[in-house]
Amino acid sequence: MERENSKDNIIEISHLYKSFKDVKAVCDLSFCVKKGELFAFLGVNGAGKSTTISIICNRLRKDGGSVIINGEDIDRRDFSTKKDLGVVFQNSVLDKALSVKDNLLSRAALYGIKGKEFDERLARLDSLLDISPLLKRAVGKLSGGQRRRVDIARALLHSPKILILDEPTTGLDPQTRKTLWKVISELRESDGLTVFLTTHYMEEAAEADYVVIIDSGKIVAEGTPLELKNKYTGDFITIYGSDEEKIKSLELPYEKIADGYRIGVPDTKKATELIVRYPDIFDDYEVVKGKMDDVFLSVTGKKLTGGNADE
Amino acid sequence: MNKFLAQTKRNIKLFFKDKGMFFASLITPIILLVLYATFLSRVYKESFLMGFPEGVEMPDKLINGFVGGELISALLAVCCITVAFSSNMVMVQDKAKGVIHDFLIAPVKKSTLAISYYVSTLISTLLICFLALLLGLIYLACTGWYMSAGDVFLVILDVILLSLFGTALSAIVNHFLSSQGQMSAVGTIVSAGYGFICGAYMPISQYGKGLQNALSFLPGTYGTSLIRNHSLNGIFRELEDMGADSLVIDKVRDSVDCNIYFFDNKVSTGAMFGVLIGSIVLLVAVYILLNVNWKRSGKASVKK
Repeated sequence: MERENSKDNIIEISHLYKSFKDVKAVCDLSFCVKKGELFAFLGVNGAGKSTTISIICNRLRKDGGSVIINGEDIDRRDFSTKKDLGVVFQNSVLDKALSVKDNLLSRAALYGIKGKEFDERLARLDSLLDISPLLKRAVGKLSGGQRRRVDIARALLHSPKILILDEPTTGLDPQTRKTLWKVISELRESDGLTVFLTTHYMEEAAEADYVVIIDSGKIVAEGTPLELKNKYTGDFITIYGSDEEKIKSLELPYEKIADGYRIGVPDTKKATELIVRYPDIFDDYEVVKGKMDDVFLSVTGKKLTGGNADE
Repeated sequence: MNKFLAQTKRNIKLFFKDKGMFFASLITPIILLVLYATFLSRVYKESFLMGFPEGVEMPDKLINGFVGGELISALLAVCCITVAFSSNMVMVQDKAKGVIHDFLIAPVKKSTLAISYYVSTLISTLLICFLALLLGLIYLACTGWYMSAGDVFLVILDVILLSLFGTALSAIVNHFLSSQGQMSAVGTIVSAGYGFICGAYMPISQYGKGLQNALSFLPGTYGTSLIRNHSLNGIFRELEDMGADSLVIDKVRDSVDCNIYFFDNKVSTGAMFGVLIGSIVLLVAVYILLNVNWKRSGKASVKK
């Protein structure tokens, strides 16, 4: 495949296997992430996302396959691959009893960053994330949004080439989510940062350059958001102000929504045909392409919701 | 080296700033002080006087020095172990809260993390124990001072050895813990139980023969006895100077565990040092082996 042979790949995973006793967490997983792209890795809880991330971060030993980060096989156990990675975990893993600055100082030391170099990095992160008012405060006393900003600062302290975001916006208010994505966009633009994202928010996945959806440890779909939408979902016509009898007469699957009905059609051509044939029904309507939620539902048979999957 | 120092500094800071962990480490010493204030001082005093024939006048200073010496030795004996267990809970908390994942994604060796946990626990324990020792010595100076410079030096050595022992023991036990529940359970058992089994709350000589024999297998018993010996040496010297019968003095030494018996064989202080140092070497070796195994397993021993 074109992506697999690209010189621009910063992560290359090939035939990855990992089992926990009888449970196959990851089974023959192969995918690539290109330098500088926003890569979305989707799946319900237990699909194998966290296992894959743990293997990429060299926290968990794989059973088979290969993982190459920035040209280095992680089996070589070289510290250079670790320096290439920054991780924002699902839950904050900073020391709540310590101040923000103490946390950042101790984590920076693990990468050999101290003194003037630390001050310079801190200044850069402050310009991006506005963390200087928080430096003296204990992490445990910060709000969820403030803590997330510090988590991101910690992940970016050593200027990694790849930023792994494991459900970074779960539980955050819209304003903080917006700030987070603004910072990530700036870093992608200025530093060519590669972002490996797992999320339950499909509107975030829709902004990705490439999406891989896994289920039960295997890839079930991959492509750009547009490719996935075209392949796995059709168009949707939302009709307002009509009664259910008329909608039933179309003999198409429909869903009742707040102010009307939502009808699924294979493509835009079919939608146009319907509108032309039944002008009395299509008085007040809109036609939209399927969303990433629909893609996810179509390929996994499950809805991806905040932390849980519904069959 | 910088990574090790930074990590050690972080662990120490975290222990002293985490109020829960810090105060938990002081529970046993506080219990001991409460017991002392309510009845232990009277028990210590009566057990001391019981060793002498009726009518023998003992100076208050000597009695107070004896009671104070017993208190300080008991306090230090429990502190060295319970503080070590509490401060080593930083390691368990890191696993329970997933903080260890943050370290393992960084370019730092697992052995560096393991050594930093050991050293930081030792430093935190020594800081608290030396503070307790200083306060104890001030208390003795106010109530009845009979210690020589050599005694003070030996008590310091005992505290260092017992802290090394407590740190190594806690490192091994805590290595297998990975949740807050396990952490609380072990913390409670150690806090509640160690004072009894090391003879801090009550001298081991007052227990039944079977229990005495069982406790003679525990290296901590000899640590307590060493501190007690060196805290009370001055008192016994003073008694000898006063012309007290050596048999009577030996009886008093028996009653407060200055003499410890391994199946009726009296253990010399040299042998006590040997047992304690040997145990430290053994426990540190086990800790190293556990961490080599942890390294080979290729993953953190944490709950997924």
